[in-house]
Amino acid sequence: MLSYVVRRALIGCVTLFLASFVVYGLVRAIPGDPTAFEAGGEGGARLSEEQLAELRKTYGLDRHWTVAYASWLGNLLTGDLGTSFRMRRPVATLILEAAGPTLLLSVTSLLLAYCISIPLGLHAAYRFGKADERLSAAVVYLLYSLPSYVVAIYLLLLFGVKLRWLPLSRMYGPNYDDLTTHQKLWDLAAHLVLPVTCYTYGAVAYYTRFLRANLSEVVRQDFIRTARAKGLGEGAILVRHALRSSLVPFVTMVGLSLPALFSGSVILERIFSWPGMGRLFFDAFLYRDYPLVMGLTLTFSLLVVAGTLIADVLCAAVDPRISYD
Amino acid sequence: MTEASPAPTAPPSRGFWRETWHRFRSERLAFAALCFIAAMGVAAVLAPFVAGTRPIVCSYKGRVYFPFLEYYFEGGQSGVFLQDGFLDSFPANLKKKDPSSWAVFPLLYVDPFRRVDADEREGQARDPSRGPPTLRNLLGTDDRGYDVLALVLYGSRTALLVGLLSMTIAAAIGVILGALAGYFGGIADLAISRAIELALSIPTIVLILALRSVIAQPNLFHLVAVIGLTRWETIARYTRAEFLRLREQDFVLAARALGSPWHRIIFRHILPNALAPVIVTLTFGIAQAILLESALSFLGFSAAGADASWGKTLSNWQSNRECWWLAVFPGLAIFLSVLAYNLIADGFQQATDPRQRN
Repeated sequence: MLSYVVRRALIGCVTLFLASFVVYGLVRAIPGDPTAFEAGGEGGARLSEEQLAELRKTYGLDRHWTVAYASWLGNLLTGDLGTSFRMRRPVATLILEAAGPTLLLSVTSLLLAYCISIPLGLHAAYRFGKADERLSAAVVYLLYSLPSYVVAIYLLLLFGVKLRWLPLSRMYGPNYDDLTTHQKLWDLAAHLVLPVTCYTYGAVAYYTRFLRANLSEVVRQDFIRTARAKGLGEGAILVRHALRSSLVPFVTMVGLSLPALFSGSVILERIFSWPGMGRLFFDAFLYRDYPLVMGLTLTFSLLVVAGTLIADVLCAAVDPRISYD
Repeated sequence: MTEASPAPTAPPSRGFWRETWHRFRSERLAFAALCFIAAMGVAAVLAPFVAGTRPIVCSYKGRVYFPFLEYYFEGGQSGVFLQDGFLDSFPANLKKKDPSSWAVFPLLYVDPFRRVDADEREGQARDPSRGPPTLRNLLGTDDRGYDVLALVLYGSRTALLVGLLSMTIAAAIGVILGALAGYFGGIADLAISRAIELALSIPTIVLILALRSVIAQPNLFHLVAVIGLTRWETIARYTRAEFLRLREQDFVLAARALGSPWHRIIFRHILPNALAPVIVTLTFGIAQAILLESALSFLGFSAAGADASWGKTLSNWQSNRECWWLAVFPGLAIFLSVLAYNLIADGFQQATDPRQRN
């Protein structure tokens, strides 16, 4: 088991190394470079040729990208992700600052998705094929096919523009600093409602569909018949026996759905002007902020690789039939 | 799997694909979705017949022209009209410059590439900008005065093109790599599996944004290539798994014993049997590709050029938030096509699932 984890972790490191290499090459191949934004900067101060050359030198743009990549990698190994071109602050600090809002969104919605989808999945298995179950399955299917940014736009249109019940974007209201703690929490919650809804409904639909399919297969197996034969109630059978055996693939699937969560965050955070990692990535990309793009890509890829690894290991830990030797 | 078990109604057993088609048709929702997509395909191809400002056919100064072809192939309208200064406005100019001319116009006199001006046709008012849905502009107009119905209709051309072409690319890469990995195993499998893992570890949107930005002025086909190049991993994984399963079977052994070369075994013997799960993945992939294209256009990374796209119209709403029709209709188009492709994929999966065959 341990040797398996170690081997997988090593492979993961190689994957990360290759991924960062590919992305670095790609980002450097993008026409236009960050000094262009500097030169036409907000202050309007025109830079001279020498200053531009100086700038390019500090950014490592004068070297071939493989050389620049090597020095980036060297710095990374000492724990230094570099400094953002645009914001002149360490990349690691920027990422850590943005991680909070993103985690707030994703963890909240992930927990919500569990709390909603597990009962829904159980209900689906309990009433499988009945009219109410088929209706809820149809609704879940519709939600599953609804793209999250379309929902985001519809919700903004309905609650933000037409009804004006909820704030349109950002994490805090304009007068946030003047509020009491209690009001601050309320303000934050109001700003959370729309983005969390957009993050959650898709996951709920996905997980519920998965549980429904999985549970309906499990309940046809012999050990469920045995449980029923010894006189257990349907509820106890579902929760204590069927759900348990469905949890293994469920855990795996949740681990594998991480990449979609990150891709989603780039679009949703942009729509809601949410100051998280997706938004940071989008801006970094727009301004060719190489160190920031690289730092964020590495973080995203690391989370994906770790998610897959954890899912596999958990799977092996829970299911005695799986051996990885 | 190629031979379906004999059905009681038909004495000789049906082939795999006929059986699948038969079972697919009996799934009403999936079949309805297929009809919807087919109708959308027809509408996309025939869009210039439904909405446009160029005559489908017209006679001008004694000759017959087909100006609507311009909607398919860009590049200068037929010389005569350019010389005579038509400036896209056909009805009034035709009448003025050649009273004996005649023309057949599309169903709706609206255009996805320009604003319809006043008096192009008799009594015709100028299309408003940010106009709500009216009898004339059935789905409203955007801030440039372009008709939203025309934009959505011509946007389906983009969606269709992106969905089908990009997935063709993805399928070609995925099937070939997956087949090689699964059939040969060993070093080929190791290398290809690592490549799949690598591609999976970079979030798609990161890869797509980077690839797309490398091209300074990407057109629609660049975008298609970029999406295709980033969506092959799942197809490769499924193909590989199927090949791993099938390569040990007797019919493959028989083919090998008969001396078939490897490429013949892969493409003629194994692939037809591995196709069902690949087609399911592919169909889901089309929905994903449509989503990606509109998401990219929405974020402002659309293809250069005037092509209408649902995502572009949606992003137009961002600066005109009071115009609900700019959000609702293209959003609905995206939703319905994604839903339809998902339904088709699920229906096909059901139809080819050996456990559900009788």
